[in-house]
Amino acid sequence: MLRKVILVGLISTMLAGLTVMAQEPVTIQFWHSMSSGHQPHLVALVDEFMAENPNINVELTYQGSYGDTEDKVNASVVAGNPPTMVQLYENVITPLVEVLYPIGPHMTQLEKDDILDGLVENNTFNGVLVSVPWNKSIMVLYYRSDLISAPPTTWAEFAAMSADLTVDLDGDGVIDRYGTGLRPYNPEMYLNYVVQNGGSILNDDWTAVTIGETEGLEAMQYAESLVPYSFISPGYLSDALGAGQVAMFVDTSAGYYYNNKAAVDNGYTMGVSRVPAGPVNAKSAIQGTNLVVFDMGQTQAQKDAAVLLAKFLIRADNTVYWSTRGGYLPVVKSAYSSQAWLDYVADHPEAAVEAEAMVDGFAQILHPNYGQMRSVLGSAFEEVLLGAATAVDAVANLVIELEALLDY
Amino acid sequence: MLESARTGRQYLVRQQTYKLGLYSLMLAGSAIMLLPFFWMITTSFKAPSEVLRMPPKWIPTVWLWSNYAKAWAVAPFGWYFFNSFFMAITTTIGEVFTTILAAYAFAKMRFAGKGVIFAILLATLMIPGQMLLIPNYVMINRLGWHDQYQALIIPWLASVFGIFLLRQFFRSIPDELHDAAKIDGCSRFRFLWRIVVPLSKPAIMTVALLKFLGSWNSFQWVLIMTNREVMRTVPVGLMSFRSEVGTAYEQLMAASVLAIIPVLILFFFTQKQFIQGVARTGIK
Repeated sequence: MLRKVILVGLISTMLAGLTVMAQEPVTIQFWHSMSSGHQPHLVALVDEFMAENPNINVELTYQGSYGDTEDKVNASVVAGNPPTMVQLYENVITPLVEVLYPIGPHMTQLEKDDILDGLVENNTFNGVLVSVPWNKSIMVLYYRSDLISAPPTTWAEFAAMSADLTVDLDGDGVIDRYGTGLRPYNPEMYLNYVVQNGGSILNDDWTAVTIGETEGLEAMQYAESLVPYSFISPGYLSDALGAGQVAMFVDTSAGYYYNNKAAVDNGYTMGVSRVPAGPVNAKSAIQGTNLVVFDMGQTQAQKDAAVLLAKFLIRADNTVYWSTRGGYLPVVKSAYSSQAWLDYVADHPEAAVEAEAMVDGFAQILHPNYGQMRSVLGSAFEEVLLGAATAVDAVANLVIELEALLDY
Repeated sequence: MLESARTGRQYLVRQQTYKLGLYSLMLAGSAIMLLPFFWMITTSFKAPSEVLRMPPKWIPTVWLWSNYAKAWAVAPFGWYFFNSFFMAITTTIGEVFTTILAAYAFAKMRFAGKGVIFAILLATLMIPGQMLLIPNYVMINRLGWHDQYQALIIPWLASVFGIFLLRQFFRSIPDELHDAAKIDGCSRFRFLWRIVVPLSKPAIMTVALLKFLGSWNSFQWVLIMTNREVMRTVPVGLMSFRSEVGTAYEQLMAASVLAIIPVLILFFFTQKQFIQGVARTGIK
């Protein structure tokens, strides 16, 4: 009896202690890369979070582009003082896993099951959900509907339509409008083609490079075949669209606002459809970052507060708010059946297309060297688009470079 | 007589043609250099629909002054300008002071290991700044300067490039001047500030201007070393108009026009010294 009393007393004390701890003011740092377009919506969400949790103060800090944020996070980890929470790509998270505070173990099974299936795998490290998806987008086809009545649905249609729409409008011998546009350094675009052709970068257990097989080579050759009909520029394709230089292109759904604005501002109309299907499927790359919580000197109260914030940001109502204002896509299943999302889709048909593509999307692999692999994938694609190498040579070289990165 | 008059006329014509060609070339060069500024200024007044029109629309249909108000409201630019001025002015004054002392020592004084120390200093110029970013960040953190003005100012109070530039200039000042001053009882320190510095005004102005511009445009260092909005500078603020998927060009250009005004004013008042300094120190 006494034992029971003592046990109950201990539990009560611990719970009371936890409650007190929860009430104590705690400040957390959240580093992000959301510039002026998205920042006000993020600020609104964080303000709402702080109103719901008055003991938590969130210091929201813009750290420049994703690359700048990555640089700063890496520097802060070396210095031993990373922020409490930050948004990062999977390939940046992989080498940091050991210094992260896994979010998954602090979520209910219901909450974890609610995350879109395609987004769970690439946030799970060694069987543990370490990070949670946040500002996710998917690659879709943008096309000028004033030029294209029915968007292409297959590689063959896309190539044929790109050729037809590449024209010298004023007859001066210079092409004024290209059928499509490609950014030369774009590893995800090449991966789209590889996956749509049934290929992959590595085999399932990451022991061999498979991109050099027929599927990977054909994917690169397909990109090569598009070069004569492509406006190739490292700049934003929305700029080329606005300038009337491209008729259609594949881009992230997060670019909808800028792409649509460029079209409308210049008197065009724009449509959105799934990316044209390859011989095997019409999958496209999921893009965007995830939320991580650091475990490098942060207090338990800070880590708990950050987990609470991460869960708040991916809650159905908030992920819908974020998506409908920021051009991203909801990351939890329940969001797609919410009235707010259904109302939004009714007014924005492109969102339905994007959502469909998202559910069917593929994510980055979590190989610890994927950051470097991504870099060589992008360089190989760039060489082909800029005519510095043939598809055959670029893929052969790519295989050698990837093999050197297999071990970790 | 007739022959010599004809030769004289031909010479004049040749001279005029040469001048015409030269001025045309310079005019064309100036136009090319000024075009981006012209685009920046006119774009800062354009409606978004006119920014990327092809062929380019050089003059806005309606001059939208509101772009400036919108741009100013995006981020705390008041703080950014204050910080940029504070950082640029303090680092410039500091660097000029330390650089003069070090350059004089390397140019005119004799001490053990002078050549080796100078070579080591020059070798640091070969290390890419990116490589030093993380070690510098760690050091700044250990000093407790992260997110403080110390981090933005103190590491930039000396410059190897400035030392090298001034050393070269100081070396061209005859040693006899120092000997004469010494005979008159002038100390080294007094000789430096009363004789060497006034004689080296163009080179010092060049160092100062390059430093001011470098500090004013500093982006990555400020971004990495600060967190609070109130500690950041104008170039970091300009990033606010860009994202991974697009750019608000008209607002970015409006903010850019505001950002270059102080530099233009500075150059306007110091261009004579700047040009002299560039010409005489051989940095072209």
